[in-house]
Amino acid sequence: MIEVRDLRRDFGGIKALAGVDLSVAPGERRAVIGPNGAGKTTFFNVLTGELAATAGTVSLGGADITALRPWQRARRGLARMYQRNELFDALPAWENVALAAGVRLGTYRALTGISRAERDAATGQLAQVGLDDRADTLARALSHGERRQLELALALAQAPAVLLLDEPTAGLSPAETERIATLIASLDRSLTLLIVEHDMDVVFRLADRITVLHEGRAIAEGTPEEIRGDTQVHDVYLGKALGG
Amino acid sequence: MSRGLLGWVAAVAAWIVIATFPQWSREWESSRYATGIIRDILVFAIFAGSLDLLVGRAGLPSLGHAAFFGGGAYAAAIVGQRLGTNELLIGLGAAALVAGLLALFIGLLAVRATGIFFLMLTLALAQMVYALAFQATDLTGGSNGFAGVRRPAFFGVDLGPAEALYLLVAVVFALMTLLLWRVTRSPYGRALAGLRENERRMRALGYDTRTLKLSVFVLAGAIAGIAGALSAYAFRFVSPNDVALGTSVTGLVMVLIGGAGTLLGPLLGAAAVLFIERVLSSSVGFSQTVLGIVFILFVVFARQGLAGLLRNVAAKVRS
Amino acid sequence: MTPELVLQQALNGISFGALLFVLAAGLSLIFGMMDVVNLAHGAFYMLGAYLALSVVRITGSFWLALLVVPLLLAAIGLVVEPLLLRRLRGRHLDQVLVTIGLSLVIVDFIRLRDDWGWGGEVRSLAVPPGLDHSIAIAGSDYPLYRLFVIGFGIVLALTLTVIHRRTRLGALIRAGVGDAEMLSALGVDTDRLFARTFAAGAALAGMAGVIAAPVFGLQPGMDVDALIFSLIVVVVGGLGSLGGAAAGSAVVGPANTFGTVLVPQFALALIFAIMALVLLFRPTGLLGRVRIGR
Repeated sequence: MIEVRDLRRDFGGIKALAGVDLSVAPGERRAVIGPNGAGKTTFFNVLTGELAATAGTVSLGGADITALRPWQRARRGLARMYQRNELFDALPAWENVALAAGVRLGTYRALTGISRAERDAATGQLAQVGLDDRADTLARALSHGERRQLELALALAQAPAVLLLDEPTAGLSPAETERIATLIASLDRSLTLLIVEHDMDVVFRLADRITVLHEGRAIAEGTPEEIRGDTQVHDVYLGKALGG
Repeated sequence: MSRGLLGWVAAVAAWIVIATFPQWSREWESSRYATGIIRDILVFAIFAGSLDLLVGRAGLPSLGHAAFFGGGAYAAAIVGQRLGTNELLIGLGAAALVAGLLALFIGLLAVRATGIFFLMLTLALAQMVYALAFQATDLTGGSNGFAGVRRPAFFGVDLGPAEALYLLVAVVFALMTLLLWRVTRSPYGRALAGLRENERRMRALGYDTRTLKLSVFVLAGAIAGIAGALSAYAFRFVSPNDVALGTSVTGLVMVLIGGAGTLLGPLLGAAAVLFIERVLSSSVGFSQTVLGIVFILFVVFARQGLAGLLRNVAAKVRS
Repeated sequence: MTPELVLQQALNGISFGALLFVLAAGLSLIFGMMDVVNLAHGAFYMLGAYLALSVVRITGSFWLALLVVPLLLAAIGLVVEPLLLRRLRGRHLDQVLVTIGLSLVIVDFIRLRDDWGWGGEVRSLAVPPGLDHSIAIAGSDYPLYRLFVIGFGIVLALTLTVIHRRTRLGALIRAGVGDAEMLSALGVDTDRLFARTFAAGAALAGMAGVIAAPVFGLQPGMDVDALIFSLIVVVVGGLGSLGGAAAGSAVVGPANTFGTVLVPQFALALIFAIMALVLLFRPTGLLGRVRIGR
């Protein structure tokens, strides 16, 4: 579903991505882990097109999307849940979701009103993440945990084929983490997931396979068990994060 | 009666009062003078309303909006002269078309920029239009302006007389306000709000933000052009001043003092500014100074503008 | 076009460019440090020119005006920044709006001051004695004052570069251009730094006004012209850096001069085309650090 070949991204002299190869099957749940500075966020930014690749290719569903702009990739079914919430603060929760869903219905419907059906659909999307009772609350008035849920709801409302989850549990309490993790786990298997995470419990719970990034390269890839036992990965992490 | 219906009734009633002002104020000594001012307030309210679509709704701070206002004014005047016609629809149509095209060309360049750079670009590009108005003397009359704009007629009905023209302006104002109301409450309007709130996320959701910005820029430009045409008909005169930076600034001041992002804002802002410029300046000579100070005070202390202040007062009254 | 004419126009272009540099440097400086596009920049320029009128009338000395006027503008800047801009920290667009209001007030003030010899009429300032003759260059006469303008621009550029690179203030400015928040976290009094930067920008604008007055005269609307040109210069050259102001004025100055002479109908279109090209192919501006858009 996602095919990344020799992806490189330089910032001046710094090679943030130094040739990443990655292949994710449809419906697979792949976690991308690595110490800080490994290039995970850069990787996501290049995948979505917000950063241009210096070299290499990105393919989605077999089609080369390397030259496409972010909005074009989104239209092809690529959605992202941001690490730092990117919400529409002045709009209520349901309108946030309606914006996400509205792309497929048409951007330039300038003379139609906003239908009851659209609002109900948005509320339904919110229900999926457990926020339907806060539908009318302005995004900026939600708690951090709720904003995280809304963040996820936005990405899901795009009805994507591939979902990039950028540290979904960032800044969440244990209870909220559990909630988000369960939500993600319950997502339909037709959705391909790519997850960047620091919380290893969440990683091991959700991932089918894990890719480990270090200094801009994928140094290991395999099932959670394989990664757990990989000594190179241990060295990179100093053994701490994997609970070893 | 529900709040929505009450709002509608109030709005229609207010419009009827305004639209019939010349009639019921006929006995007053300064009726003609006041009619002229209210007429201009309505024209500028359309102008400010179109600018608010950019500034208040889409978050695109434009300082070149006069290019479309004046462009529309010139278009209406020139088309009437060159085609030898008085027909209102042709004048308004030409104005909207020319202004829209100007907005397209300027927009294609300007929407590549964001925020403050967008503002700088619209300013500079609109100045080009201003210079053009000066140089194309054969067409525009150059620095002398275009005098003798033909009186508009609607399918033969002469709209030249003051009261008829006033009614025309009031009707177009109502139509444009209705249009803006409709657009801002539509999915498109919500997309504009999304653009203002978080452009990055809009792109990530799949919106072609550049084209979206261009579309609202052209729409706002076309509406400004219509306001310009009305101005041309009202004054029977178009000058480079109508495309000047001063007019763009005036528009921005109106949007802000009135309250950006509100429906009532442009009207309140236009009324406030024209009051300062026309009424105040006849007694004191320094209207621009007053305007500048009032503008600064609003930006610093009352950013939500008159409409916002009214809303706060209404909320307090209700509780 | 004869060689003499070409040389003359080239010198005209360079002197105009030098003037533009003095003008644009202040705008770029303020933006680089404070993220504010000072739309009162043209008004400051205009005020500088009119103040020079008065200083010359009172003291008879242009040179005194060149010294005093920037100081006066700096004082105004030191008052205005804390009064109007400081309370709007972080609200960049609102700060820009406030500078618009400021320009309205300044320009109207000038218009009303008939009693000071200002007012709405066209005025002129004489070229200072000593510079008011022409000298022979490559066979034809060229006004000495314009050569002075070129020299002044170069000296100013060098002075600013030295300050920028070698002094603590320059280091603060370089750092501030990158990240003012960081500076504050490091204990630098950013309020004072911002006020002084704004004052310096205003002083540069006033300086440009004094220098330009003998060449271009004084009239209503000169603030708008100055503002437009400085904006074009920084868009072309790059906003936020001295090098950008220099690069932009080096391009726009000669382009405008030659354009006005060679293709008077399209001089404006030429400048517009340059701006458009830069925006399309190098959105940062030729030497700029700040991305204008995507």
